[in-house]
Amino acid sequence: MDSFLTSRIVSDILGGLTNGAIYGLVALSLVLVWRATRVLNFAQGAMPMFATYLGMGLLSYHWPYWVCVGVSLVAAFAIGALTERVLVRPLYGKPEINPIVVMVGYLIILEAFAAAIWSTTPRSLPAPFSPIDWQLGGQPVGLSPFSLFEIVTALVVMGAIVTLFRFTRLGLQLRASALAPEVSRLLGVRVGRMLTLGWMLSTAVGAVTAILVASNFFTGLTPQLMDGIFAFGFIAAAVGGLDSPVGAVTSGIVLGVILQFVGDYLNSNAIILVALVILIVSLMVRPSGLLTRSATRRV
Amino acid sequence: MTPLARRGAAALGAFAVAVVLAVFLAPRASDAAAVVVVAVVATAAGFVGSLPRVRAERPALARAMLTVVLVDVVVFATAFLSVPTDFNLATGAGMAIVLLGLSFLTGASGQISIGNGAFMGVGAFATAIWANHHATTPIVVTLLISVAVGALFGLLLGLPATRLRGPYLAGMTLAFAVAFPAILSSFSSWTGGDSGLQLPNSATAPHWLVSLFHAGTPTLTTDTLWLTDVIMVATGVAFFFMANLFASRTGRAMRLVRDNDVAAELVGVALPRTRVIAFVISAAYAALGGALWTLLNNSVSPATYGFALSITILAVIVIGGIGTISGALIGGVVYAYSTNVIAWFVAQTGLNPQGNLASQLNGIIFGALLIVTMMFSPLGIAGTVRHLRQRRALARE
Repeated sequence: MDSFLTSRIVSDILGGLTNGAIYGLVALSLVLVWRATRVLNFAQGAMPMFATYLGMGLLSYHWPYWVCVGVSLVAAFAIGALTERVLVRPLYGKPEINPIVVMVGYLIILEAFAAAIWSTTPRSLPAPFSPIDWQLGGQPVGLSPFSLFEIVTALVVMGAIVTLFRFTRLGLQLRASALAPEVSRLLGVRVGRMLTLGWMLSTAVGAVTAILVASNFFTGLTPQLMDGIFAFGFIAAAVGGLDSPVGAVTSGIVLGVILQFVGDYLNSNAIILVALVILIVSLMVRPSGLLTRSATRRV
Repeated sequence: MTPLARRGAAALGAFAVAVVLAVFLAPRASDAAAVVVVAVVATAAGFVGSLPRVRAERPALARAMLTVVLVDVVVFATAFLSVPTDFNLATGAGMAIVLLGLSFLTGASGQISIGNGAFMGVGAFATAIWANHHATTPIVVTLLISVAVGALFGLLLGLPATRLRGPYLAGMTLAFAVAFPAILSSFSSWTGGDSGLQLPNSATAPHWLVSLFHAGTPTLTTDTLWLTDVIMVATGVAFFFMANLFASRTGRAMRLVRDNDVAAELVGVALPRTRVIAFVISAAYAALGGALWTLLNNSVSPATYGFALSITILAVIVIGGIGTISGALIGGVVYAYSTNVIAWFVAQTGLNPQGNLASQLNGIIFGALLIVTMMFSPLGIAGTVRHLRQRRALARE
């Protein structure tokens, strides 16, 4: 007997929320960097991938799971700070294709180094919670302890970022540095540090995402782990608006649910096609994102 | 002696030497005839193209003549090179066409595409699909159809580009590159799924070309030579067309859009149309490059046209010099020989060729070059050479 909770629709919605939480996190990390430094970071998937290898690699030396997660986050902070200082800072004020090209080069080099050091063979990461769906009357509900953990983690990270930006002094300084660097500097904000901090936060959000993605039994940790996820995260961020953290997260979650239905009712190849069509249509309708107020462009 | 007379004398001298060499060194009459034809074409085109009046008043004719000389010399040279070298050069030439399209997009509109590997795949599969359904279509027509299909895809994706600014177009083309393998397998009844497609009949060299060779020459040699030469001619035509476009009114309007789109709009350039045209042309060029690769390989495989190819295309054109015409040629050569150079480097340093590091060296070197180029010399090799020449010219004055 089918109950509503085990029906195909509920199962798709729950699965979609899990994927959508991941897309939302990637979109959020893109927005953080975009707002701080006006760079669309094409290495946004590769930098956390590298941090995850550094941290979670310690599992093979029998370090405890949560310590490895902590090391990954520290590595992500370090990589984010270094990248901003060394690679991104010289590019401010240059034509807009320069940072794009540099970040693509960075993506190539990070993936190549990761493959050279750790090989391209997938590494399985243990999931901290069971990835097997809960049962109800002998039927799976489409939600496992691990996917619930993914959704909760995503919500906590998003909440933390929003709290940081909206309600703390540091958040105010971060927003001010992004919007009006000159004025902020005059008022005593260390703008350079704030931009670095933006990159650190973004890479750390990315590292959380990468660990969640790599804990999936079917993918494991590979150098190209985030390529596909990055595309979905970018689509979510572009549809929601690169300037709006809330918009990016919302559209990530909605995108996840829509695509879950597409994958279930059509086929798995159609997922990225539908995502691409959504992106093209939404960019044609509102180039600056569906969930932002349109801004006039300064000349 | 006037410069004109000097040039004429030099041309006649070179011509005479070539003919004498041909008559005395060529083992057979047909060889000698081929050399004479090559020499006549090169001298005549070179002479006309370098006339000061032609260069000043008919720049398009001068460019056409320069193209004829280059293609003529390259085609002549390919007859003496080994089959692997010819194949390598032809692969590089196809890539150079793709690079030229991307170089034009950036040089003309200031935007960048990370999805040109996928547009290349569109052209490559269009050629294979068409050839499998209409085996009798001449090569030129098949190529034109593939270019048209590539342009159509470019138009579909380029429509939002009319209003896009900044990195949105780059991100969207990246999504297209990531989605392309899924697009191919969605239409697997046409595209052959994972195994790709074979061409129904391979391109064979015409009789007059075969007759130039000794009777026992393997058909692989003559067929590869024929395909290489077809690709070289196509490359020449593509570069000639692009050089004219760069210099034309449209090209000037596009450069203004790149440098200052507000000013461009004020002087009456239609921004949306200009941007879309630039994007469509770059997609069409990519499709032509892919179509030529299908002809050369006699088959097409979806694995070739993944995300990695799109990134490689971007890396190679940036190293060569994005926004320049010569940068595309340099990039094509870099692409054709990068594998050989890296293999040589691995052999020299004694790395394990099957090891992790050796297999990733390609990515490490390309990634590093990409970053270094953008940081220190954004116009790549072509831009650096131009800069050095200008400096020397200034120093001389």
